[in-house]
Amino acid sequence: MTAEALDQEHKSGERKWRRRSLWSLVLLIPLALAVESYDSVRTLLRNNDLFPRRVAWGQSAHFAGSDWKLTNLRGAFGMSNLPPDSVPVLADFQVKIGNSDLQKLWLGCKVMLIDKDGRRWSPTSIVSLKTPDNIGNCVSAIFSGARTGDTLNLRETFLVPKEATKSIWPAIGVASERPHFLLFQLEKD
Amino acid sequence: MMRRTANIILLLMAVLFCYGLQISKPHYGDLIGPIPARGKLGDTVVGRAFEVHAEKVEFARKLKVDQFGQQKVLTTGGVWAVVSVDFAARSESTVVSTASWRGPAGLTYDQTERLSFMNGLLPVAIDPGLPRKARLIFEVRPDETSNATLLVSEKLVAALDSQAEIALGPVAVGADGLPAGTVDTLDMLQSP
Repeated sequence: MTAEALDQEHKSGERKWRRRSLWSLVLLIPLALAVESYDSVRTLLRNNDLFPRRVAWGQSAHFAGSDWKLTNLRGAFGMSNLPPDSVPVLADFQVKIGNSDLQKLWLGCKVMLIDKDGRRWSPTSIVSLKTPDNIGNCVSAIFSGARTGDTLNLRETFLVPKEATKSIWPAIGVASERPHFLLFQLEKD
Repeated sequence: MMRRTANIILLLMAVLFCYGLQISKPHYGDLIGPIPARGKLGDTVVGRAFEVHAEKVEFARKLKVDQFGQQKVLTTGGVWAVVSVDFAARSESTVVSTASWRGPAGLTYDQTERLSFMNGLLPVAIDPGLPRKARLIFEVRPDETSNATLLVSEKLVAALDSQAEIALGPVAVGADGLPAGTVDTLDMLQSP
C-alpha cells in the first residue's frame, strides 16, 4: 500500500468518526439536559398540586391510604369584624382511615379552595369559629393516633371574597400523592 | 515563524477573551438572588405572588404603641419611618413576611422588632381578592431617609423569587436635621 492510499484511508476514517460524533450530539445533548433537570422536575412535581382528580358530590375517593368525602361546604354569613366583602367558608370532610400511617401518608396536607379562575385560598387564621371537640383539621388528624377503620371529621375555615363564593371547590393535596390532588365537585355541579 | 506568531496572538486573544468573560460574569449571589419588581411611591408593584402599593411615608420622633394592654411611647436615637402599604395576593393565599429600608448610602434597616404582636405589622397573611392594609415600621438614621428604597418580599431569603423595590423619593431635610414634616409623636393605636 502506498503512503498516499494510507493517507486517503486515514482521512475517510476520520471523516466518518467526525460525522458519528456530530450525530451523537443530537442524542447526547438532550440526554444531558434530562439528567441535569431530573431532580428539579421531580421536586417541582412533588411540591405542587398540579393534576386534579375530580370527586363527584356525595362520593368518596381513595387518597393517601384513606377514603375522603366532602360532607358540607357553607358560608358563615353575618359575622362582624371582617374585611369588607369577605365571607368565611367552612369545608367539612369525613375521612375513613385505611392505612393508619398518617404521619407518613398525610405529610404536607394542604386543604384549599379553588375557584373557576384557578385562584387558591388557604385556611385562614383571621376567623376563628368554635368547633365541636370531635372535629379536627388535617394537621391535627396526623397526630390524632387514628387507627384503620376509624372515621375522622375534619373542618377547615377559609376567608374568601363574596364574588368568589359562587364558583369555589374544595381540594386536598398531600405530599405522598403529589402532583395529583383531590378536587371535590359540589351538589350543584 | 509566521505560524508561531499567529499562534501566540491567538493564545493571547483567548486569554483576553476568557478574562473578559470572568470579569463581566454576574456573581452567583446575583444569579440566584431576588428578582426585583421596581416601582415608586403610589405605584402598585406586582411580584410573582403578591402586589404591594405603598401609599405614604410618615416620620416621627416617637411612636405611641399599645403593648399587652399598656400604652407605651417608644423613642429613638434616629427617626421612625412608617410606611402605609396595601397588600394583595395574586393567585394564591400567601404570607408577606419581610420588609427592609435601604438608604441612599446603601445601609439597610430591617423592620423593627420593638413592636410585637401589633395588628397590621408583618408577617401579613393575604388571600386572593381580599387586599389588606399594613404598616411597615423602621428605625433609621435621619440621613438615610431621602431617596430610600423599600424592599418587600414574602420570605427572608427571597432567592429566585420576586422582591418589590419601591423608590420612596427625595425627602427635604428640616433645620433640626430630621426629615421635613417629622411629627413629634405618631399614634399607632389607630388602625392602618
